Amino acid sequence: MGDILDLRVRKSYTGFNLSVSASVPSGIVAIFGPSGGGKTSLLNCISGLVSPDEGEISLHGQILFSSSQRINLPPERRRIGYMFQESLLFPHLKVRENILYGYNLTSPSIRRIDPSQLVNLLELEPLMDRRPENISVGERQRVVLARALATSPNLLLLDEPMASLHMGIKGRILRYLKAVHRDLSIPMLYVSHSMSEVLALADKAIILDKGRQVAFDEPRKTLRDLGTTSTMESVSLENLLDVEIMEHRRSNGVSLGMVDSTTLILPYVDEKVGTRISICVPAADIILAVRRPEGISARNILEARIEAIHAMGTSILVYARINELWLVEITPDALTNMDLHEGQKVYLVIKSSSIIPLH
Amino acid sequence: MPFPEEIQALRLSLQAATLGTLLGLPVALVVGWLLVKSSIPGKAVLDTLVSFPLVLPPVITGYFLLILLARNGPVGSILYKLFGADVLFTWAAIGLAAGVISLPLMVRAIEVAISNVDPRLELAARSLGAGPFRTFATVTVPLAYRGIIAAIFLGFARGLGEFGATIVVAGNIPGSTQTIPLAAFTSLQSGDDSAALRFVGLSLSLALVTLSLHHLLIRRRTSRHPWVTY
Repeated sequence: MGDILDLRVRKSYTGFNLSVSASVPSGIVAIFGPSGGGKTSLLNCISGLVSPDEGEISLHGQILFSSSQRINLPPERRRIGYMFQESLLFPHLKVRENILYGYNLTSPSIRRIDPSQLVNLLELEPLMDRRPENISVGERQRVVLARALATSPNLLLLDEPMASLHMGIKGRILRYLKAVHRDLSIPMLYVSHSMSEVLALADKAIILDKGRQVAFDEPRKTLRDLGTTSTMESVSLENLLDVEIMEHRRSNGVSLGMVDSTTLILPYVDEKVGTRISICVPAADIILAVRRPEGISARNILEARIEAIHAMGTSILVYARINELWLVEITPDALTNMDLHEGQKVYLVIKSSSIIPLH
Repeated sequence: MPFPEEIQALRLSLQAATLGTLLGLPVALVVGWLLVKSSIPGKAVLDTLVSFPLVLPPVITGYFLLILLARNGPVGSILYKLFGADVLFTWAAIGLAAGVISLPLMVRAIEVAISNVDPRLELAARSLGAGPFRTFATVTVPLAYRGIIAAIFLGFARGLGEFGATIVVAGNIPGSTQTIPLAAFTSLQSGDDSAALRFVGLSLSLALVTLSLHHLLIRRRTSRHPWVTY
């Protein structure tokens, strides 16, 4: 994955100065940080809605902004899709017209994405003739995603696309975003204040605090650095995973799902066998055991290996690998008493009720 | 045909008010857009300039128009070259006067309508590849629909009632430049009460029709798109 976006941006606001310099690779890159940290301001600078005081921005070698060369392309000529925090669909247009708005303005020679492909991928067919006022918040986010993608953008900016959604729909949008990334291979710059989302989605993360870029690295490394420097307020971490429903045991109130090549017992999910759903397991709800526990009510005992241990604020974060990496949050006391170390074999003990299915 | 004078005055008033609205609307849209959305220097000057007809006595505005529209005046000379005729003392002069006098009202209404459109929707259009003009035409104007309709009706109604500037630039020539207000004034002056009463009735009916039409247009739009909130 080569670098596609070169950023060197400075802009003064009252209260903070935005200062970022990064070479952003293709793939999904997260911009993470507390609110008011300058995340949205950075996206606005990249999209051209706001002009930086100083710096250079170039995408695929094309200069979008350069204070030294006095270049400042208007937003409509940057070919950057922008998914705003609120859906901002055009209220006077039907869903179909919203999606086609940017598509019709895109020169046929540079169209790579067909609207019908997006309609299928994001399952929008039933919504096409409706008006934005008549569809749900989650549906609006899908439409707005399709509208941005229909312009065949070279880069997609997402400003906390899930901030206004409740947990259930979040998992769904997360899966759509992954599908978009997989099928359309569009680089994404993703603003989030949820480290769990960043860990689940991003290849790299830019950490912003009061406009200052404090880190730019793989999400896991940035999280470790944050934990040790502790400039951030502590974050509640969750494991966000995809599960395929295998079997229902309705009388027992559970469903069986395949995740990470292990079977997991989840609370009953009203979905057909074979469907994929996302689940969320809070890192603090997983119990770590050094021996396989027996005679225990928790339904899931998964064998894993510790890959890394980091301090994070006042707690300890253990990265345990099955095939995917699981986050487990424990106390420093547990760490000392259990004598955990990297490479050690451990068991993750998870109550079914700690698993939150996200439809 | 009965009441030839009244019908003549009505036709003239409608013609002039329509011309005034048609001339004023594009100017008001551009000025409204410039005042709300652009960052051009001299906004205050522009704002003051279009507000003048609102604060000046219409007779004075009419006097300025008289100077501008005279055959050797800056605007009149151009119009004379284009059409080979004088504008002053024709129904076109009444239309121009109506447009100028109602411009500040139309600009105000459009300014409010435009500034009520969520600017982020316009930014969304820009990020989807629409330039500033297309954004204005496809997002701002449709969403400011109600305010623009209001501006049109406000301008039209003001044009219908125009008196001061009209009498200066077009005189009060029965049958050719005598609009309803001028005719009503003339009847009152000459003590012809029954004629004056007919013009009063005509004005009232016209006002009623205009207001109902406005109400109807806004109502229809609202019920179809209850999301358009202002």
